[in-house]
Amino acid sequence: MIAVVTTMTTEVPAPDRVTQEDIEEAARRKELIIRWISRISGYVVVLGLWEWASGAVLEENLLPGPTRVLQTAVELFQDGKVFPAFGASLSRILLGVFLSFIIGSMIGIITQNRWFSGFFKDAITIGLTSPGLIWVLITALVFGNRWFGPILAIILTTFALVSVNVAEGIGSLPKDTLDMARAFKVNLVDRNRHIVIPHLAPYLFTGLRFSFSIGWKVTVLTEIFTASSGIGFELRIAQILFRQDEVLTWILLFFVFALFLEKVVLQAIEDRFFRWRKEIAST
Amino acid sequence: MAEIKIRNLHKEFGTGADKVVALEDVNLDMGGHVFVSIVGPSGCGKSTLLNILSGIETPTSGSLEITQSGHKAAPGYVFQAARLLPWRTVMDNLLFVQQDKSDETRARCQKYLEMVQLGDKGDKFPGELSGGMQQRVGIARAFSIEPDVLFMDEPFSHLDAITARSLRRELHTMWADTGKTIIFVTHDVGEAVELSNRILVFAQGGRLEDDITVDLDFPRDAADEEVAIAKASVLRKFEEFDLLAT
Amino acid sequence: MTAVATKPPSSSSGTAIPPRRPSSAPMRFIKSPRFARAMFLPAVLVFWLISNKLIENSWDFDSSVLATPREVWDFMWAEVTRDTVAPKDLYETFGISLYRLGIGFSISMILGTTIGLGMGLSRAVNAFFHDWVMALLAMPALAWALFLSLIFGFDNKGPIIAVVLAGIPFVIVNVREGVRSTPRDLFDMSNAFGVPSNKRTRHVLLPSLYPFLFASARYALSIGWKGLVIIELFGGQDGAGWTVKFWYDAHRLHGVIGYSMFFVIFALVMENAILEPISRRVFRWRPSLNSPDIVEEEMDALYDVEELNRELDANLPTGSTQET
Repeated sequence: MIAVVTTMTTEVPAPDRVTQEDIEEAARRKELIIRWISRISGYVVVLGLWEWASGAVLEENLLPGPTRVLQTAVELFQDGKVFPAFGASLSRILLGVFLSFIIGSMIGIITQNRWFSGFFKDAITIGLTSPGLIWVLITALVFGNRWFGPILAIILTTFALVSVNVAEGIGSLPKDTLDMARAFKVNLVDRNRHIVIPHLAPYLFTGLRFSFSIGWKVTVLTEIFTASSGIGFELRIAQILFRQDEVLTWILLFFVFALFLEKVVLQAIEDRFFRWRKEIAST
Repeated sequence: MAEIKIRNLHKEFGTGADKVVALEDVNLDMGGHVFVSIVGPSGCGKSTLLNILSGIETPTSGSLEITQSGHKAAPGYVFQAARLLPWRTVMDNLLFVQQDKSDETRARCQKYLEMVQLGDKGDKFPGELSGGMQQRVGIARAFSIEPDVLFMDEPFSHLDAITARSLRRELHTMWADTGKTIIFVTHDVGEAVELSNRILVFAQGGRLEDDITVDLDFPRDAADEEVAIAKASVLRKFEEFDLLAT
Repeated sequence: MTAVATKPPSSSSGTAIPPRRPSSAPMRFIKSPRFARAMFLPAVLVFWLISNKLIENSWDFDSSVLATPREVWDFMWAEVTRDTVAPKDLYETFGISLYRLGIGFSISMILGTTIGLGMGLSRAVNAFFHDWVMALLAMPALAWALFLSLIFGFDNKGPIIAVVLAGIPFVIVNVREGVRSTPRDLFDMSNAFGVPSNKRTRHVLLPSLYPFLFASARYALSIGWKGLVIIELFGGQDGAGWTVKFWYDAHRLHGVIGYSMFFVIFALVMENAILEPISRRVFRWRPSLNSPDIVEEEMDALYDVEELNRELDANLPTGSTQET
C-alpha cells in the first residue's frame, strides 16, 4: 500500500513589509507600462498600416493616408468652411433633438395610461427599429429642401428612445419613498422636487444622450439628400467632385466632434449631476 | 479511507496593509470513517481550509497530505451553491465529472441520483428544479465519483429549514452506508452536533481553538436531551473563546 | 365570441379589491389596450390621408409626388408578383443583398470572435485594440458608405467590407464581455473534480459564451444590414439599397415607402423565422427566458429568486396573489 498521493510543501519565509509593498508597486508600474506600450503600438500599427496602404494598396487619391487627411483638415479650417458647416448641422440637430425630446416625453407620459400604451406600442417599436434612412428619403421626397424635412426625420427616428426612457423612469418611481413622504405629509411640490424629479432626471438625460447620438447621423444623412448647407452638404459636394480626401476629412472631423459632444460633454454633465446614481437604466 | 495530515498550514491574502491572515499554523489529523464538522464565525478561515484541502487554493506555507489507501480518486466536493452547469441536464452534470461515459458509469450516476430521490429527474435542466433539488444533485455528483473523502462547504445554508433538515438526514444515511470521510464546514452549531462525531472550532484569524469529540449514537434528533446538551456545551466553548461577539 | 367580455368581474379572490364600476361589455372592449393597439393602424392611415390633403392644399406641390396607402399597396403587390419597372425584381434584388450580407456577416463573426477572445484573455491585446474598437463602434455606417463607395465603385467588395466594418465592433465587444464574465465558480468546481481542460472548454467555457455569441450575431446582422443598404444606395448598381434610391430618383414616393416596408418585413422574418427558433433551441435550458438578452445575472442569484418565490408561495394563503 503506497500511501502518499498528494503532497504540497511550500515554504515561503514571511517577507519584509517594505519590500513587499515595493514589489507590489513595481508590479503595478509594470502592468501600466505594458498597457501603455500595447496601446501606443496599437496606434502605431493601425495608423502605419493606413499610411502604408494609401499608395501601396490603393491609389492615394482613393485612400488618402492620415497625413494627407490632417493636411486637408488644416486647409478646410483655413478656408473657413468648417465652422459654418458645423453651425448649420448643429442647429438642425439641436432643434430636432429638442422637439423629439418634448414629443417623446409627452408620449412617454401618456403611455402610463393602459389604453395609450396599447395604442403607441407599435409606434414605439417602429420608431426604435426602423432605420433613419427610410425617414430621410421619405421626408426628402415629400418636403424637398424645406427646413422641417430634416427636423421631422430626426424626430421620427429618435422620439421612441425618449418615450421608452421616460416610461421606464415613471414606471420605476420609488413607490416606498413616495409613500413614506406621503405618510410624513410632505406636500406635493416638495415631493416632486425632492423625489420625482431627481428620480426622473437620469432617465431623461439618457434618452437625450441616445437621441443625440442617433440624431447627428440622421442629420448628416438628410443634408446629403436635401440641404444646401451643413456637413452632409459638404460631403455630397466632395463626393460629386471625387475629392476623396475631403470626404474622409469631413467624415472624421464630424465624427470626432460628435464623439466629443457625446462622450465628453454630455457624459461629464451626466457624471456630475447623477453621481449618486451608479447605474443608469437604459434600453 | 482517507487520512488527512496537516502541518503548520498558513494562509494569508493580500500584502502590506491589506494583509489578512486566513489560517494560522494549523495542525490536524483526520481520517477513517468520520464526519468532521468545522465550525466558527464567518471569516475564521473555515472555507479557506476546505478550498486548500480540495486544491482550489494553495497554502502560503506549511504542508498538507491527503493519503488514500487503495485506488486513486479525486476528492468529492459539495459547494454552498449547487454550481451545476445550467446548460446541461442533471444526468450530464453528473457525467461531466466522470472519467468515462460507459454504461457502468451511467448506472452508477443513476444509482446516486436515486439515492437523493431524483431518479426520474435525470433529463431535466437544473433551472427546472427547486433549490433543494439542485443541492441534492450537487450531493449526488460528489458521491457519484466514489471519492474517499468528501468536502462540503455549508451545503445547506441556502436552503429553507425543512428542506435542509431532510437533506441532512439523507446525507447522514449516505455517509453511514458508504463509509466515506466527510469534512463539513458550517456556521450552524446545531447542524454540526447533529451530524458529526468530531467538531473543530475555528476562531477569527484562522486559529484552531478546540477539537471536540461528540460521542453519541446516530441518528440524532435535535430534540434529544443529550444532543441539546452537546450543542449547549459547544456553544459555551464559543462564549469561552469570545467568538459570539463577532 | 364574447366569452371574455361576459365573464363577471373577478371579485372571487378573498382580498379586498374595490368593486369595479359596472360597465357594459362593448365599452370594456373599447377601453382594452388590445383594442387600442388594433386602432393604431387605422389611425395612421387616416392621419396619412389627412396630411396628404393638408400638404396638397398648403403648398403648390406636384400632387403626384405624394403617395396614398392604396398606391403603396399596389406597388408592393406588383413587386411581389415580379411586375416591376426596376431593372431587377424584388427576389433578385434581395438575393444580391443577402449574398453580400451573408459573406460580410461571416467574416465579421470569425474575425470579431478571434479579436474578442484575445481582448478578453489578455490585457495587452485589449489595450492594443481598445481605442480603435470603440471608435469603430461609434462610427456611423454612413461614413463607411460614402468612403468605400468611392474606393470600390460598383464592386461587391465595397458592400461586403461595409458589412464587416459595421458589425465587427459589436462582435468584439460582446465576445470580450463573454470571456470576462465566464462563470468562475463553475471553473473552480471543475478543478475541484479534476475535470480535464478540453472537457472544461467544451462544457463550461463554450456554453457560457453562446449567449454572447448569439447577441453578437444579432447585432452584426442588423447593423450590417443597415450599413449595406446605405452603401448600396450611394455606390451600387444593384441590391436593396440601390433599388430604393432608384425609386427615390424616379420621384416615386410609393416606391420608397413600399420598399421600406419590404425592409421591415424582411427584418421581421429574419427575427421570427430564423433567429428566434435558433435562440429557443440553443437556450432551452433557460427557464422561461425566451428573450435574447445576454445572461449577466449569476446563476446563483437566479436560484435564490426561485427559492424565494417558492417560500412566498408556501407562506401565502392559497388563492391570493401579489398584485398591485
